[in-house]
Amino acid sequence: MAKLIFVVLLTLIPILCTSFSPEKPSDRRILVLLDDFAVKSSHSLFFKSLQSRGFDLEFKLADDPKIALQRYGQYLYDALVLFCPTIERFGGSIDAAAVLDFVDSGHDLIVGADNNASDLIREIATECGVDFDEDSAAMVVDHSGYAVSSTEGDHTLIASDDFIKSDVILGSKKIEAPVLFQGIGHSLNPSNSLVLKVLSASPTAFSANPKSKLTSPPSLIGSSISLVSVIQARNNARILISGSLSMFSNRFFRSDVQKAGSPTKHDKSGNEQFFTELSKWVLHERGHLKAVNVQHHKVGETNEPSIYRINDDLEYSVEIYEWSGTTWEPYVADDVQIQFYMMSPYVLKTLSNDSKGRYFTSFKVPDVYGVFQFKIEYERLGYTSLSLSKQIPVRPFRHNEYERFIPAAYPYYGAAFSMMAGFFVFSAVHLYNK
Amino acid sequence: MATTVVGAAFLLLLLLPFSISQPISDSHRSAASDLFNKISPSLEDAYEALRVFEILAIEKKPPVTTDTCHTVLENLGSSSSPLKDLFYALKVSGILKCDVDGAVLKKIASRLKATVHDASTLLDIYYSVGSLVLIKDQDSNVDVLLTDADEIFRSIKALSQSDGRWRYSSNNPESSTYAAGLALEALAGVISLASSEIDQSKQVSIVKNDIAKLFDRIEKYDDGAYYFDEKFVSGSEHQDSLSTTSSVVRGVTSFAAVTSGRINLPGDTILGLAKFFLGIGIPGDTKDFFNQVESLSFLESNRISIPLILSLPETVYSLTKKGQLKVKVNTVLGSAAPPLTVKLIRAFSTGAKDSAIIDSKELQYNQNGGFHFLDAFPKNVDVGTYVFVFEIVLHDSDSEKIYVAGGQIHVPIYVTGIIKVGSAEIAVLDSDLGNVETHKTLDLAGNDVVSLSANHLQKLRLSFELESPRGRLFKPHQAFLKLTHETKIEHIFLVGNTGKKFENVFDFLGLVEKLFYLSGRYEIELTVGDAVMENSFSRLLGHVELDLPEAPEKAARPPSPPVDPYSRYGPKAEINHIFRVPEKRPHQKLSLVFLGLILLPFIGFLVGLLRLGVNLKNFPGSTVPATFGFLFHLGLAAVLLLYVLFWLKLDLFTTLKTLGLLGAFTMFVGHRILSHLALTSSKLKSA
Repeated sequence: MAKLIFVVLLTLIPILCTSFSPEKPSDRRILVLLDDFAVKSSHSLFFKSLQSRGFDLEFKLADDPKIALQRYGQYLYDALVLFCPTIERFGGSIDAAAVLDFVDSGHDLIVGADNNASDLIREIATECGVDFDEDSAAMVVDHSGYAVSSTEGDHTLIASDDFIKSDVILGSKKIEAPVLFQGIGHSLNPSNSLVLKVLSASPTAFSANPKSKLTSPPSLIGSSISLVSVIQARNNARILISGSLSMFSNRFFRSDVQKAGSPTKHDKSGNEQFFTELSKWVLHERGHLKAVNVQHHKVGETNEPSIYRINDDLEYSVEIYEWSGTTWEPYVADDVQIQFYMMSPYVLKTLSNDSKGRYFTSFKVPDVYGVFQFKIEYERLGYTSLSLSKQIPVRPFRHNEYERFIPAAYPYYGAAFSMMAGFFVFSAVHLYNK
Repeated sequence: MATTVVGAAFLLLLLLPFSISQPISDSHRSAASDLFNKISPSLEDAYEALRVFEILAIEKKPPVTTDTCHTVLENLGSSSSPLKDLFYALKVSGILKCDVDGAVLKKIASRLKATVHDASTLLDIYYSVGSLVLIKDQDSNVDVLLTDADEIFRSIKALSQSDGRWRYSSNNPESSTYAAGLALEALAGVISLASSEIDQSKQVSIVKNDIAKLFDRIEKYDDGAYYFDEKFVSGSEHQDSLSTTSSVVRGVTSFAAVTSGRINLPGDTILGLAKFFLGIGIPGDTKDFFNQVESLSFLESNRISIPLILSLPETVYSLTKKGQLKVKVNTVLGSAAPPLTVKLIRAFSTGAKDSAIIDSKELQYNQNGGFHFLDAFPKNVDVGTYVFVFEIVLHDSDSEKIYVAGGQIHVPIYVTGIIKVGSAEIAVLDSDLGNVETHKTLDLAGNDVVSLSANHLQKLRLSFELESPRGRLFKPHQAFLKLTHETKIEHIFLVGNTGKKFENVFDFLGLVEKLFYLSGRYEIELTVGDAVMENSFSRLLGHVELDLPEAPEKAARPPSPPVDPYSRYGPKAEINHIFRVPEKRPHQKLSLVFLGLILLPFIGFLVGLLRLGVNLKNFPGSTVPATFGFLFHLGLAAVLLLYVLFWLKLDLFTTLKTLGLLGAFTMFVGHRILSHLALTSSKLKSA
């Protein structure tokens, strides 16, 4: 029996070593589901940029009856790429619920949709807080922000440069050239606070069928149309939803771009940079934080006490690191805050840092006793959220810890002691006087 | 599988801007230089790179070095190298002209001949025959002719299936389209290697029949592209539609090249295959790139029919720039077509299919540029989307047999121009009478803004005119008027037209509910745009101060404005705990003064005692009671001292414990001294 377990463990080792782990949060194994193998070749630049960063891509047709996301309760992949906008039903055991379970267990998802996106893809997107235009013939049209092209005259090829302002999502290097987009627009569910517009349409854009006349105002209009959105779930799973699959294609990656009304013509569209940077974020090569080595103690001591007394002075420190894709680098920011919390924060203080990832501060324990928590709730745009809490009780003064020699009480003490001295003298005088 | 096909068709449409495709151009060449930039150790990859560069006539050499020739010679020299390696080694050496010894080739030829006889699988035959053909091309001294070509021909033919497909080997019942391509190429090789004129006619006609059957299996996209698709084949590698189609094209064209007489395949099918390969665009995979380019090169010079591709460098024609409408006709690889005329049969607006704007016009040919052009648009062509129908007419009747041009070709053309925007005005009207209260004209090309005010009993009227360059009414695709309230709530209205005038009248009484009864400042923004309008614009017209009635209780609440996502993430305001303030205390000096005052009575007591002249004469004289007396007062002093210590440092428990001991002791000695004193005094009294 022991031998059998050993053999099983031995076969599991390669899987365990390469899989997603808290220590190495980047994804490794990616399943790519396609409508047609031609996409593998026509979108090869995107796939190649993933492969060159060390990802292990597995291409499958979306209706392949053999595809599966998990086996024996273990997920086989760390991320899923759905480049199959028209698929009505996945092959194998995968369905919308399985894809959402995959995300719920902390794995990442990239969805490339298109107009004519199937109900299945729409359902997955809706569950993520992204609502595609219901009219399946609708495309995003922008008669003022289109990409100048001598062969595409219907203004559905859009050059967009309205990016989200976040270095962690799109990289620190500014994307100079506009990004080409051709496809379906979507809106974000206002009740979903986790979904973010990464690429928005311009104020003159609208979503409608370019071939038919408008009879009523389009449901999606202006900069509320999102072209590419990302979601970071509460379990830090990341999702990228794009309304255009051709955005990822080699043709768009290589194409030159000139936005209507702009005199500058860029030799290369911003698509490659945009998706390379965005995929780094989605696949946890950037913006993934970890907090370690939480320490707190009284000023002047080094050991962590099991309880604090009210009005103690304490020091708190934590180390925060960011995953760079290969190593954990110190995370430097000046907005990490600590809360000393019991029902509501009693103290909320910004931590100072030493630029090497260590954050520290000191403060006085409030004069309220009870069970407190040291709490760090760090949520920043694009970063994984850090949520640390450590419980610590706070007690009041002990009976002998109060102040003893209060000058204001000297008259009372004096009265008592002079009384006592008087009693002693009087007792002697009373007994022995003759 | 049906969904795959539909999906694939759809994707292809996306990759293609239109159903017309562009022939191979320079972008393909630069992509090839980028793609084949790594030195691959495999000869197959090296061959693919070399072949692509040869077909596309790229000056720069692919990164294959003398090492490659070295590998070729090594492979050819070894008597045990696999057939596949031998085959690709010969192919590479054919292009690189490696210095291969004739003796080596002879040895290989004899080995291959022996293999051909014994081979049972299609691949073995394919590689051996292919290699022999290559040796024949490279060294005419080597005897490669097959004496029993007929037999080999039959052994290949034996693997064919009734539906035109082939099997990989006799003991594998699965048939494959990909294998059909290989088999046809092998058959072509056998025919060219035959030592004597084999009894072709019968065999060849059977194979031609097989080809016809194979082409019955062809599949079609909506845009007229034809392709072969491989169903799943167990046991062998799955081939995608590109490599399958490519294999068939290679087989059929090489078979057609060696046989006399034509293979009858419809021209549309050949053109459709060309469209399929061109429709892929620029593949990102070396294998796909090779398959595409090599197949196109076979189509370029095949004996069945050579497809001609009509392409337009520009399909957006601007009336303001007055360019020429150019049409190019090339072969698939972009080389010049035979003398021909491009005829514009008809051009009609997409809106009105029956009324043609141009009927049957011949395009002129520009010798230098190598393109056909329509010198001037007729005067009556206005902005809009049109479909132009072209036809290629070949001059030579002979070349009609060689080339296939594909009948009528429909091309969508966008004619764009500047739309004149005029007589724009905005007015506030009184509702019941229609009297104009305020009236302002607008210059929509400028930047001036108006400010108006209105109440719910009034109307706001906005009107403007749009005129096409030919002076006709122009109806744009997008004519939106946007009212934005201070709270960022937006309302969109379509602007309709009555006759020539675009007009929108806002009857605020009917709109109050839609506006959520929100009074205040509304910004008015007008957006006009169309695919053929070169001056699409979106501009702020001004603002209107609306005075609307109070909302009734049941009215719908305005939606909450969108939350700025950035605001959710900033750091929170710091919180400092406010500590309880300690009670106010008197000054220390005051306390000391009062301490002094408190001690005064004690001092007065002592002074009083002295003044009274107290003495201790009653202290017992004898030793035992004196000791007890002394100890009693010592005990009292100790108890009092304990109280002082209790104040200074001791806690209650220590104090009580010590007090118990001291109390018991003091009580005992106190009892003795007091009883002694009582005895003495009673004695005194009684005495």
